[in-house]
Amino acid sequence: MPHRLLKFGFSDHHPEPRMFREVSQLKPEYDAVIIGGGGHGLAAAYYLGKDHGISNVAVLEQGYLGGGGTGRNTAIVRSNYLTPEGARFYQASVELFQDLSRELDYNLFYSERGHFTLAHSPASLRTQRWRAEVNQHLGIDSQVVYPDFIQSQIPQIDLTCGGHQPPIHGALFHPPGAIARHDAVAWAYARGADRYGAEIHQQTAVTDIEVRDGAVIGVHTDRGYIKTRKVLSAVAGWTTHITKMVGLTTPLVIYPLQAMVTEPLKPWLNHIVVSASLHVYVSQSSRGELVAGASLDPYELISSRSTLDFAESMSGHLIDLFPCLPQVNVLRQWAGMCDMTPDFSPIMGLTPISGFYLDSGWGTWGFKATPISGKTMAFTLANNRDHDLIKAFNLSRFERCELVGEKGAASVGH
Amino acid sequence: MTSRLPPQPGEWIDREQPLDFQFEGVSYQGYTGDVLSSALWANGVHVLGRSFKYHRPRGIYSLANHDANALVSVGSRTNLRADCLPLEAGLQASAVNTLGSASRDYLAIMDRFSRFLPVGFYYKAFHTPRRLFPFYEKQMRKVAGLGKIDPQYREGPTGKQYDFCDLLIVGAGPAGLSAAVDAGERGLRVILVDENPHPGGSFTWQWQRNAEAQERYKKLLDRLHALENIDLRPGTIAGGVYSDYWVALFDQHRLTKLRASAVLIASGCFEQPAVFQNNDAPGIMLGSAAQRLIHRYAVQPFTRGVILGANSDAYRLASDLAANGIDVTALCDLRPEGEPSTAHAQVEATGIPVYRGFTIYQAETRRRGKQLAGVIACPLDRKGEPQPQAGLTLPCDGVAVSVGWAPDGGLLYQAGARFQYKTEVEQFVPNSLPAGLFAAGRVNGIFSWPDQCRDGLRAAREAAVYLGQPGVTELDSVTHQGPSPSHPYPIFSHPGKHNFVDFDEDIHLADFKNAHQEGYDNIELVKRFTTVGMGPSQGKLSNMNAIRILARHNRATIQATGTTTSRPFQHPVPLGHLAGRRFHPLRRTPLDAWHRQAGGQMAHAGSWLRPEYYGPADQRDQSILSEANQVRQTVGLIDVSTLGKLQITGPDAAEFLERIYTGRFHKQPTERLRYGLACDETGTVLEDGVIARLADDHFYVTATSGGSGAFYRELLRWRQIFQLNVQISNLTGQLAAINLAGPESRNVLKDLTSIDVAGDAFPYLGVRRGTVAGVAATLMRVGFVGELGYEIHVPASSALHVWEVLADAGRPFGLKPFGVETQRLLRLEKGHLIVGHDTDALTHPAEADLNWAIAKNKPFFVGSRSLEILQQRPLTRQLVGFRLADADVTPFPKECHLIFDGDTIVGRVTSIARYSTLKHPLGMAFVQPRLASPGSQLHIRTAPGKSVVGEVCSLPFYDPENLRQQ
Amino acid sequence: MKILNCPLNGPRPIQEFHYGGEFHPPLDPAELNDADWGQEVHHRHGEPGVKREWWYHTASGTWFIAERDNLKDHVIQTYLYTPECGND
Repeated sequence: MPHRLLKFGFSDHHPEPRMFREVSQLKPEYDAVIIGGGGHGLAAAYYLGKDHGISNVAVLEQGYLGGGGTGRNTAIVRSNYLTPEGARFYQASVELFQDLSRELDYNLFYSERGHFTLAHSPASLRTQRWRAEVNQHLGIDSQVVYPDFIQSQIPQIDLTCGGHQPPIHGALFHPPGAIARHDAVAWAYARGADRYGAEIHQQTAVTDIEVRDGAVIGVHTDRGYIKTRKVLSAVAGWTTHITKMVGLTTPLVIYPLQAMVTEPLKPWLNHIVVSASLHVYVSQSSRGELVAGASLDPYELISSRSTLDFAESMSGHLIDLFPCLPQVNVLRQWAGMCDMTPDFSPIMGLTPISGFYLDSGWGTWGFKATPISGKTMAFTLANNRDHDLIKAFNLSRFERCELVGEKGAASVGH
Repeated sequence: MTSRLPPQPGEWIDREQPLDFQFEGVSYQGYTGDVLSSALWANGVHVLGRSFKYHRPRGIYSLANHDANALVSVGSRTNLRADCLPLEAGLQASAVNTLGSASRDYLAIMDRFSRFLPVGFYYKAFHTPRRLFPFYEKQMRKVAGLGKIDPQYREGPTGKQYDFCDLLIVGAGPAGLSAAVDAGERGLRVILVDENPHPGGSFTWQWQRNAEAQERYKKLLDRLHALENIDLRPGTIAGGVYSDYWVALFDQHRLTKLRASAVLIASGCFEQPAVFQNNDAPGIMLGSAAQRLIHRYAVQPFTRGVILGANSDAYRLASDLAANGIDVTALCDLRPEGEPSTAHAQVEATGIPVYRGFTIYQAETRRRGKQLAGVIACPLDRKGEPQPQAGLTLPCDGVAVSVGWAPDGGLLYQAGARFQYKTEVEQFVPNSLPAGLFAAGRVNGIFSWPDQCRDGLRAAREAAVYLGQPGVTELDSVTHQGPSPSHPYPIFSHPGKHNFVDFDEDIHLADFKNAHQEGYDNIELVKRFTTVGMGPSQGKLSNMNAIRILARHNRATIQATGTTTSRPFQHPVPLGHLAGRRFHPLRRTPLDAWHRQAGGQMAHAGSWLRPEYYGPADQRDQSILSEANQVRQTVGLIDVSTLGKLQITGPDAAEFLERIYTGRFHKQPTERLRYGLACDETGTVLEDGVIARLADDHFYVTATSGGSGAFYRELLRWRQIFQLNVQISNLTGQLAAINLAGPESRNVLKDLTSIDVAGDAFPYLGVRRGTVAGVAATLMRVGFVGELGYEIHVPASSALHVWEVLADAGRPFGLKPFGVETQRLLRLEKGHLIVGHDTDALTHPAEADLNWAIAKNKPFFVGSRSLEILQQRPLTRQLVGFRLADADVTPFPKECHLIFDGDTIVGRVTSIARYSTLKHPLGMAFVQPRLASPGSQLHIRTAPGKSVVGEVCSLPFYDPENLRQQ
Repeated sequence: MKILNCPLNGPRPIQEFHYGGEFHPPLDPAELNDADWGQEVHHRHGEPGVKREWWYHTASGTWFIAERDNLKDHVIQTYLYTPECGND
C-alpha cells in the first residue's frame, strides 16, 4: 500500500483541504474572465497562472465543475490525427497528459491501453494508412496492422462482425492511446488553478458580454457585473449562446453525442477499440464498466436527452464486434453536446472582437485536447496573439475558405 | 434448516412444484415461483453475496429487484440480481466478485484496510512514481469489476416487437390497477406493465392482512380480466421513456418498442435504508423486504427481530411480523412523538415494546459479520443525535427498517416531469407534468391504499380527458393526510464508520463529510467523486439519503440541493435485447448469382457487393492483369449496375443541369453525352458522371455508386429552391448497367442490337436507345477504361438475360468478365480519377486538374462563387500521374503513402497499380505544384527509412491521343 | 422516437427523415465580397432558439421546412418550401 494512504488511516480527521477556495463574492474587476468551468477553462486558468503569472482570473461556471463535455465524454486520449496541424497539436496534448498526474499531484488514472481504429474496407484502411504515415513522420507511435495482429491483441473480437457488417481488413494501431478519469482532470486543474490564484465561481451564469468599439469591456452575470478586457469562451455545447452575446457568427452547430455504460465486469478488454463504420468506440474503465460511445445524433439539438435508437444500434454494433456480450447489462445511457465544425478541427484563438477569445469547435474530440488547449489559450490570452500550435485553427479560416481537413479522413472512407 | 412458513394467502410459490438448485456448489430445494434470494433465505442461507469494495457479507435488503449486493453468475450469464432471478430446476448459481465463495471470501481482508482507503483514495496515491502506476492499475482493475464474462458465450438474435396503445400504465399496484380498470372500461386501449411476475404491488405484501384491501384487489383483478382492451404485462420493465412517449419495454425475452398516446406512471417508491453502524449486516433488511418474504414467498425473514421505524408502515409491519410468529423484540421509532394513528395501539396490544425517539446505533455481528447477533439501540437527543451512552442491547437475528420512501420517479423525470420536495411527505413529488404524462399513487406522494386507488382513478380520468374521451367526470386531487411517511434524516454518525449510505459502492457516511470538506459540495460532484448512485442499482437505495446528507452539509434545503439527472435504464438491461435481430441492408446487383458462380471475389463497396475480379484469391494480381489484357486486346464485360442512374425530365431540365453541374447543357445535342462535374456550395468536388441527352426535355445521368443516393437527395432540394419545372427519378435500382469494352466490342454487339453500331452511326460520346438481345436498352459510348465500349442500361429484371447473351456472343472473341479492381487499373492507365478515392472532402476542381470541365462565363452553378475565390489562390496541391521503374521494389508503395522532399511532406499517393498492361507500375498522387511537371522525381516513403522514387508523367498513361475509344 | 409531421405524409417517426441543416435564403453571389461569401457559406446560426431547418422525408422524397426549437426539440410547424420562405 502506498505510504500516501497511511495518513488517512492514522489521522483522526480527514487530512485533506478543500480542492479550491470558496469565494463568496465576485470581484468588480478581473484581468481575465474564463467562461466555462470544464477541463478546458480550468486548464486555461491554471496555465495563465503557472506560465504567465496572471492570477487575477475568474472562472465562471453556470453549473458545477466539469459538468459539461468534460464529464460526459468517453475519456479517450490519442494523437493519431490526419493533418499535420492536428497531429502536432494533439501530440503536445498527449505529452502533457502523460505527466499530468504528477504535475497536478492528482491521480488522473491516465492509462495507456493502445487504441485500435478498425477498418472495414480497403478504402478505410487507406485512410488509416494516411494517418499512420503522417503520425510516423511526426514521431507519433501509430501504424497500420492487419487482422492476425488485431485478433492476437483482442482475442474476443470477431473480425467477421458476425457477417452483419463488412469484415475487418485491418486497423490503425496507436499504442499510446489512453483513457483517463475525465472528472478528475477538471478537479485537478481546478485545484491547480486555485493555487495560482484563480477564483472559481460555480452556479454563476454569464448573461451578457459588454462590448464597446469592438472590444470586450465586461461581463454580466446572474451575480452582477464584472469588468474585464479579456474573456475566454470555453463552453463547448454552449458556444453559440455565448458568441451571440458578442454578435459573432461561427460555423458551429451543436449536436448531441450519446454514450452508455455497462455493469462492472472483471477486466477482459485492455484496448480502446474504435470502428468508424460501425459508429462505436469502446473501452473498459478501471472500474470494470464498458464505456461505449457512438457517432453524433442525426440532427442538431442543444440538449442532452437520450434516445432508444442510439442504445439499440450501439448494442447491436458492440455485439457485432464482441459476440460474447449479449447478456451483459447496460446500466445507463447519457449524452453530451458537441460544437461541430465543418472541417472537424477546432476553432481557437483571437476573434474579430478584441479581447474575446474562442476555445471551441471541440466536437467529439475535446477531452483529449484539455491540457494543450488550456496551455495554448493561456498563451494566446496573455500575449494577445495565437499560439503557434493553434494558428491554423483561427475562426478566420472559414471566410478565407482555408479549412483544416480532419474531415478529409472521415470522408475518404466511404 | 428451513424458514418456510405455512401456506400464505396469495403466495407466489407453487408448493406442488419443488425444485432442486445449487448455490456455490451446495444443493438446496425451493419452489417454482421462488426467486433465488427467497429460496436461499428459506434454506437459511443469509450470505448471498459480497460487497463491491470491502467484500462484506450481504443478504437480502430490498427484495424489490434492486438488491445489487446479491449478484450471481449462472453459467455464462453474470451480474444477475438474485432477488429477481426466477428459480429453475437445476439452476447453478454462484456469487460474483469473491475470492473463494460468498461465505468465505478471502478478499474480506479489504474491510480491515478500509480506514486507509478513504473516499476517492485512488485519486490521492499510486500516480508517483509514474512507472509504477501501470502495476497499481492492474491490481486495482483485478479487484474492481463484478462478474466475469464468458468469452465463448454466444446467443442467437433476439426478436423485437412494436406496439401501440392509448394509455401505458407503469405499475400494477393499487393506483395502477385502479387507473387501468377505469381507463379500460372507457374503451381505451391500455397496456399495464409491472416488473414483478404478478400484479398487485403493495396489495401483495403490505395489505395482505387487510380484508378490505384484499377484497378491492380481487375486484380490480376481476374487472381487469373482464376487459379485452387491457393488456396486462407482468414481468415487464419500462426501461426508459423517450420523445413523444416512445417507451422501451423489456421482458425476459425481448424489447418491445411501444408508442403510447399517454403515459401514467404508478411505479411506487423505493423503501429507503436507515444509516447506522453495520447497517449492511445480513439479516438487516427493509420492512417491505420482510413483508415480501412472508407474503409472496412464505419465508420467515428472521425469528427474532427489531424494527427501526419512523412511520405508520413500521407499526403495521410489527403487527404483521407478530402475526406470523416472529418475535419482535422492540420497535424503535425515530420520532420522539411516536405514531399518532391507531396502529400504535395495535402494536402495544401485542406486547411489542415501542421506544419513541430511539434509533439503532449499531448492529453487532458474529461469524465475521455473516450473522446478526443483536443491535444497540439508543435515544436521540433533540437535534436527532444518538446518545449511545444510554444504549440498550437488543439481541436479535433480524432488523426491519421502515423509515421512509423515495419515489421511483426516473421515468417521470425522463418524460419531462419536474419534482418538488414536499415536507408534508418528506419526499420529492412531481409538481409539473408535460401534456400526456400522469402520475399516481406512492410516486405521487400518496400512501394509503384507498387514497392510492382514488389517485389512480383521478389520474386515469385526466388521461381520458387528454385522450379526448367524452363525458369524463374529473376527480379532485388526493393529498396525503397524517404524519409524513418518510423521516427527514434517518442517518446517524458513528465513530466506527461502516454506516453505509450506498451498499452498491460501499460508501459510508464519513465519505460524504470528507468529500464535502474537499469541496465536492454539489450533488453531481458528490456523485462523481464518491461514486454514490453509480453502482448496479443506480442509487435506488442511496440517492435520497445522499441528498439529505449533502443538504445538511450545505445548510441548504433538499429542494435547493436538487437531484441528479435520471437516465435510462430503469433496471440493467441486456445488450442482446437492445441489439435485437440486426438488419444490415446489403445491395446485390441482378447479376450477383452469376458473379459468384463465375468465381467472382465479392467485396463490399459501400452498401453494394461487387466482384473485385474473377478467380482464386491467391491469384489476385494475375487475374486482374489477365482481365485487363483481355479488355485491351479483345473484349471484356463488367457489371456496372451500382452506378447511380437518374432521369431528369421536364421543360427546365437543361437549365437545372446547368445550375447543378459545372458544365454547359443547354446546347448539348440530343443523342450525345457530356461529362458532368458537380461541386457543393464550398466548391468541393462532390460528384461526377455522364449526362446523356435523350430529348430536349429528357436527360439521363449517371452518378458514382457510393454518392448517388445523397446526390439524388440534394438534387431534389435544389429543384425546390430553384423552383424549376423538372422531374427527377432515381432509377438506380430499376436498371442494370453492363459495360462491354474492348476493341472487339462492336463486333460482339452488332448482331444483338437494333441499333446501328457502325462508327459513324454511333460515335464516341453518343447515346442511343434500342434493343439489345431483344430487351429495351439505352446504350452509351463511354471511354472510362480507355477502349471502344458500350455501356448498356437495361431493366434489372432482364439484366441476366442480356449479360448471358453478350457473354455467349463474345466467347468466340475471348470475352471475359472483369471486376471492379480490373476496372480501377484500366481507368488508372487512362488517367481517370475516382471521386472519393483520388479526391477527399476538401478537393476542389483545379487541384484534380478538372478545370477543363468548368464552363467559362457561366453566371451560376452550385459552388461557382466559392470556386471563384479558390481559383484566385495559388494551388497547394495537384493530382498527377507517376510511374515506377520496377514492380519488384520492396516494400512496394501503397495508396496513402506520403511523398517527401527531405523532411517535408509534399504529397500523397492516391492510386497505385503494381502490374499494368503497360508493363510498369503506375499511380496517381497529390503533389505540390512545383513537383507536378512531367519528369519530377517523387520520393515515396514506403517504410521507416525507406523510399521509392517515382517519376511524374503526363496523363493519360495509355493511349494519350485517345484513339482507341473513338 | 420522435414524431415529425411531413407536410405531405403526416406524422411519421423521425427515422424516416433526413436532417438537411439550417435553412438560409438563397444568396446572391454577386452582392457579396469574398470574405462575406466565405462566411455565408460556412457560418451558421447555431445559437439556441427556434430555427428554420431543411428536413427530407426519405420514403417519399419530400423536402420541407420545419420550424424547430433546438433547445426543447419541439417542432412548431412544418411546411413546403416556397420562394417566399426566403423573405425574412
